[in-house]
Formats: sequence, C-alpha cells, structure tokens
Amino acid sequence: MTDRGNLPRGRAAFWLVVSLALAACDGDQSALDPAGEDASVLALLFWVMVAGAVVLFLMMNGLFFYFTRVKVRSQSRAVARWLIVGGGIVLPVTVLGALLTWGLTILPDHRQAGDGLRIRVTGEQWWWRVEYWPEGSDTPIVSANELRFPAGRRTELILSSAHVIHSFWIPALGGKMDMFPGRETRLSLRPTEPGRYRGQCAEFCGTSHAWMAIEAQVMPPEAFAAWLGTEARSANLPATAAAQAGMALFNREGCGACHAIRGTPHVGRVGPDLTHVGGRATLAAGRLPMSIEALQAWIVQPDRLKPGALMPAYPHLTRAETLQLATYLRGLE
Amino acid sequence: MTQEPHPHSDKHEFRAEALSLWRITFAPATWALHFVLCYALVSLSCIHGTPPVAITRSALILATLAALAVIALLGWRSYRHWAPGRTGRLTHPYGTPEHRHHFLGHAAFLLAIISAIGVVFVALPLLVIGGCQ
Ligand code: HEC
Ligand SMILES: [Cu+2]
Repeated sequence: MTDRGNLPRGRAAFWLVVSLALAACDGDQSALDPAGEDASVLALLFWVMVAGAVVLFLMMNGLFFYFTRVKVRSQSRAVARWLIVGGGIVLPVTVLGALLTWGLTILPDHRQAGDGLRIRVTGEQWWWRVEYWPEGSDTPIVSANELRFPAGRRTELILSSAHVIHSFWIPALGGKMDMFPGRETRLSLRPTEPGRYRGQCAEFCGTSHAWMAIEAQVMPPEAFAAWLGTEARSANLPATAAAQAGMALFNREGCGACHAIRGTPHVGRVGPDLTHVGGRATLAAGRLPMSIEALQAWIVQPDRLKPGALMPAYPHLTRAETLQLATYLRGLE
Repeated sequence: MTQEPHPHSDKHEFRAEALSLWRITFAPATWALHFVLCYALVSLSCIHGTPPVAITRSALILATLAALAVIALLGWRSYRHWAPGRTGRLTHPYGTPEHRHHFLGHAAFLLAIISAIGVVFVALPLLVIGGCQ
C-alpha cells in the first residue's frame, strides 16, 4: 500500500533524472554532441561501450534472476564450469582484447599531420597563451584566451605549460591532452561544424582552476582567413576621447609591464596579449562575457572574480577612470 | 579417511616440491621480462632514434613469439604436472604430497595462460600502431 503511494513520486523523480541526464548531452561543452571528426570517433567509442555495458548488465542480472527465481536448484558441475570458463575467462578476454585493439587504432590519431596551420597553446595561471603559426610563417600571431579553427581543416596543436600541469580539453572537438612544463604534447583536431564551443582546463592547477576555460570558435575557412588577417594587425587606435583617456591611463598605471598591445610601446609578457582583447567573446579565460562592465569589474579587483588571480587590483581608480580604461580595451577588436 | 602425513616425510616431500614452487613463477617472469623489454626498447627508439623503430618493432615481434613459445612449453609441462586427464581430478582439496604436487601444476598452468594473454596484450601496440605516433 505504501509502495503504491510512493510510485508516482518515484517515477517523477526517475524521469527528472533521465531528462536532466539527457539535457546534459548536448550543448557547447559536450563530448556526446561532437562537432568534429576526432570527437565523433570518441563519442562512437563511448556509445559502443555503454551499449556493451548494458548488455552485460542485463546478462549478469538475467543469470541471477534465472538461477534464484526460475530454476532454483543446484546446477551440475558442467554448467558451473562452462559459466566460469566462458563467462569468467573467455568473454572478458575477448571483449577487452577487442576494445584494446580498437582503442589502439584510435591512439595515433591525436598526432596526425595537419593541413598547415599550427596553434601553440601554453597553460598559464589561469589563462591560455595562444600563438597561431600559419603554414610557412616564421613569426607567430600572438593571441590569448580564445581559439579559432577553420572548419573542415586539420589543425595541429602544440601544447605546453609555464608552471604546473594543465590539461587541454574542448570536449565537442576532441580528446583531452595534458600540458606539461618543459615538454610539448600534441593534439590534432579537425572540427567540422562551425559554431562556438567551450573548453575547460581539465587538470587541477591551483585556486582558480575551475575558472580556466577557453572559448573555441569554428569558422568557415574564408571567414577564418579574414579573421586571422585582422588578428595579425596591430591594435586599433583609440577612436573616442574616452578611449584616448583610457589609453593614457593604461600608460600611467603601468599595465604594459605585464600586457602587450601591438602598435604601442607595451610589450609585457606576464599576462595575456591585449592587442585584440575587445574582439574576444569572453573575458579572463571564459570568466565573463566580454563587456565594458565586465572589464571594469575585472580591473578594479581581479581576484574577486578569480581567486588568486596573478593580476594586481586597482582599487584606487575611480569609476570614471575604469570606464575609460574599459572603453579603450573594448575598442581593441 | 584423514590422510595425516608423517611430519618427517612432509618435510622431505616439501623439499622435493620446492622446484615446482619456483617453476610456477617462470611464466609470469617471462611475461615481466617481455614487458620490460618492449617498453624499454620502444622508448629508446622513439626518443633517441637508435635503434630505428622499424628494427625494434621486428625484433620485439620475434621476442613476443619467443616469449609465447616459452610460455607454451611451461604451460604444457605444468599441464602434465597437473594431469587432470590421468587422475580425473580438477581440484586438490587435501594437503597430501600428491595433492600438493597436482595443485602446483594446476596453478602453474593457469598462470601460464594469463601470462600468455598478458604478452599478447603488451604486444598489440607493436602490431596495431607500429611506430612512434
Ligand atoms: C603583474 C602583472 C599585471 C599587471 C600589472 C596587469 N595585469 Fe592584467 N592580467 C595579468 C594576468 C596574469 C592576467 C590573467 C589572469 C587570469 O585570467 O587568471 C591578466 C588579465 C587581464 C585581462 C583579461 C585578458 C583576457 O584575455 O581576457 C585584462 C583585460 C587585463 N588584465 C587588463 C589589465 C589592465 C587594464 C591593467 C592595468 C590597469 C592590468 N591588466 C595590469 C597580469 C597583469
Ligand atoms: Cu589549468
């Protein structure tokens, strides 16, 4: 009786969990909603393993059910022996052998040669240093905290880290790869669906590890080429009086000791390159959507948004001053 | 019904079984040796380029066949030791010298099987990947 009374609620809870679980499958950071060749291979591997696990689960529990409810008597030694040898040795060895072989054929994929473009990504605390090396170039196009890929082309990523181990992972585009100080690891990606995806540092790297994300944009190849051309240029000159005042503040406050803005005397390399910071979709490695207000909040007190952030706070700046600085930076598209 | 062995003969028999006790480690030891050889040589080839990875690969495939042959031989000997066909018994529940003897053969045989599987799994990358990718 009590059982019956509980059933509808139990069922509702069940469907709630199922729908939440399924809702988590699509979205811009899902390995189960692949947007490229490499992620598709991994998603297929995942589904095959899930299906296999379901079959094994049903078989196991089916046997349990059969021997405890349907055929409740002791079995002959021959049956027992076959179950142990077949189900305990032959089946797992075959299944594991097959999965291992398949996994091994996928393993070399992350080092496949690309179609020309190489991107070097370095894990910093807690942001990403990014350099584009188009085919044949001998100086990189420096950027930060955002990645763009030409759709349908294979791009090689060369990964490293400045201080501690990070891990590079854009689930919708491919597998995960650790980044080590003093060592290079490689990842080769061929995104196919234009769109915006989210990556996340996947190896605990300190206080603000959880805030170390990266926006990835996959663009049609022509749009990508045009964008890369813009990204290679020096920064825009400030267009308005407010932006000009912001530029002066940037000089006065010494931001250039840590930040570079190409086309200005500022060449700092401690923090992210800000030449085109206003053109990024997010601020401070995915912490906030890019906007004037976000920039202001960041400049006044970075560690309120990212605990432990390695950028000093500027609490002495007035609201008018942070607005000018933010206007200048937002204009650097 | 109880076959209480004489304490002295027990000691004596145990000494005679000491070699069998060693012998059950041979197949896993072959697996371990093959494992170390594969990992060491492939790392050397892939980092220093000497010996070239193609040569390392062929050598290790040969080493794999050799390891499997050794394990097969050990397995065959331990099977005869176990002698389930002759005695008609798969298990050896009593602590008599005879049961101990068959038990050691049985254990060595099972260890040979798992060692062979281990060697094949360790060698799979040589066949499937082949190089330093
Ligand atoms: C001591 C070095 C240092 C100084 C000085 C400094 N910054 Fe930073 N800045 C950093 C670091 C490090 C980060 C990255 C922090 C993070 O994301 O965890 C950063 C991040 C930023 C970002 C976000 C960049 C992006 O890609 O989203 C902006 C904007 C910024 N700083 C502006 C300023 C301004 C404006 C000043 C001067 C008022 C300034 N910084 C002074 C080190 C510095
Ligand atoms: Cu990190």
